[in-house]
Amino acid sequence: MKTEAASGFPRKPFNPAPVWISAVAAAVWLTTVHLDLSFTQLLYSCHDLAEYFGRYTAPDFTHWSRYLALLGQTLAIAFWGTMLALAGGVLLAPLAARNMTPNRAVYRIARETLNAMRALPDLLLALVFVASLGLGPLPGVLALGLHTTGFLGKFFAECLERVDRGVIEAVQATGASRTQVLMYAGWPSIRREFLGYSLYIGERNVRMAAVLGLVGAGGIGLALDTSLQTFHFSESAALIIVILAPVLAFDNLSTWLREKLT
Amino acid sequence: MTRPFPLRWPTRSGLPPLAPVLTAALLGLLLAGTARSVEISVGHMVASIPRMTGFLGKILVMPDWRYLPELGLKLLETLEMTFMATVLAALVSLPLSFLAARNTSPAPAVFHAARGVLSLTRALPEMVWALVFVSALGLGPLPGIMALTFVTIGFMTKFFAEALEVVDARPVDGVAAHGAGWLQVRTFAYLPQAWPDCVGSVMYILDHNLRAATLLGLVGAGGIGYDMIMSMRLFDYNRLVLIAVAVYLMVTLLDRISDRFRARLA
Repeated sequence: MKTEAASGFPRKPFNPAPVWISAVAAAVWLTTVHLDLSFTQLLYSCHDLAEYFGRYTAPDFTHWSRYLALLGQTLAIAFWGTMLALAGGVLLAPLAARNMTPNRAVYRIARETLNAMRALPDLLLALVFVASLGLGPLPGVLALGLHTTGFLGKFFAECLERVDRGVIEAVQATGASRTQVLMYAGWPSIRREFLGYSLYIGERNVRMAAVLGLVGAGGIGLALDTSLQTFHFSESAALIIVILAPVLAFDNLSTWLREKLT
Repeated sequence: MTRPFPLRWPTRSGLPPLAPVLTAALLGLLLAGTARSVEISVGHMVASIPRMTGFLGKILVMPDWRYLPELGLKLLETLEMTFMATVLAALVSLPLSFLAARNTSPAPAVFHAARGVLSLTRALPEMVWALVFVSALGLGPLPGIMALTFVTIGFMTKFFAEALEVVDARPVDGVAAHGAGWLQVRTFAYLPQAWPDCVGSVMYILDHNLRAATLLGLVGAGGIGYDMIMSMRLFDYNRLVLIAVAVYLMVTLLDRISDRFRARLA
């Protein structure tokens, strides 16, 4: 305080950056020690890694028809999962949005349901569904659908909460019921976000569907796992390319769609 | 009660709007067409309900409390993997994002090259990279961290670059007008404006990485996932219930923290 009076300048504000940086650095160091990581060894093994990845240079497409069939199934799983999530999200989001929900109890229940769906990882759900439905793509669809309903419901609810109060009041002033407010003020106002989030979840589900095969829930993942575990590197390379292509294509398609529609 | 106006769609012609109806029809057709390949069968689903409830009944058992200390260690390992991968990815992403943002990239060619590489690293899920790295480096948390870092770099750089692209140009001109160099303009004009968005996306990615890290153990890349799948395969429900509850609590907690944090930033 004395210096402030003497110099006429306000006190220098506290800069938290050094504290944060040193805290993160300390945590990184502790983590490295605890997990027994040795990045130096990793650097030394760069040569081995390069040699290892060198084995992937000759993709082998002899079983391409099987790969394409698996790929088709993977995409179908992602599509069905996304559609289930869309249906679930559209039904649950209005209940979980503060300005659309009928009452606080419903709001809390809807929110907690969505949280629970998001908190249970989809591969764990897939394991559970495989245990009760048997092997095949159906448990994968259900797991993806259930898990991403949590995401879409939350995203939609947050968007609905941001809808301009004036728009809602204008529709309410015509004597509209709660459902009508939702249909005429809620969904139309968030059209863009609705599309953006749905595409994002679709992208995510295409990626995840490629992995679900690891737990026996259909798709291309199981073939990749088998080929890696049996050291068929050329086959693995081909499978990675087969997975990569549609993911990249869908990525570009959804970017293009979003730019076009917004 | 008589209606003063007949019910009609809020379009000029009173007919349902064309685009949504067409989209819905197209999606419906696609769903019907792919139903066979994903083996949708309501009968099968209904028939498996008893098995499902049976499973849920089996899971509600007395938890194996002796497993608790080990579980704590595994959870800590999962958290550490998440943290490590996020920090490493942030260190790489921050400089890289300046190359991948349209307005800060030194040349259009660099911008396009950076974007292309990034979409390649984002394309495959962590699990696939974890599989590859486990078969290259062996079991343990290191391949898991590498897989997470690799994928995270793709997402984080994209988010950072998008934050840089919406920066207000006037402070940039102001700093440049003082004779600031290339790097100075980027550190003192671009970065401070993009910072809140960047911190928000780091929180989001931390959240995403924790979810991914709980599963990486499935392929032997460290963390709680290995115990999860082993107790599932061995029908060790006394452990499974503890693991499921612990994962649920951990993910929910971080989800809440990250929501709170992002709400404060916005």
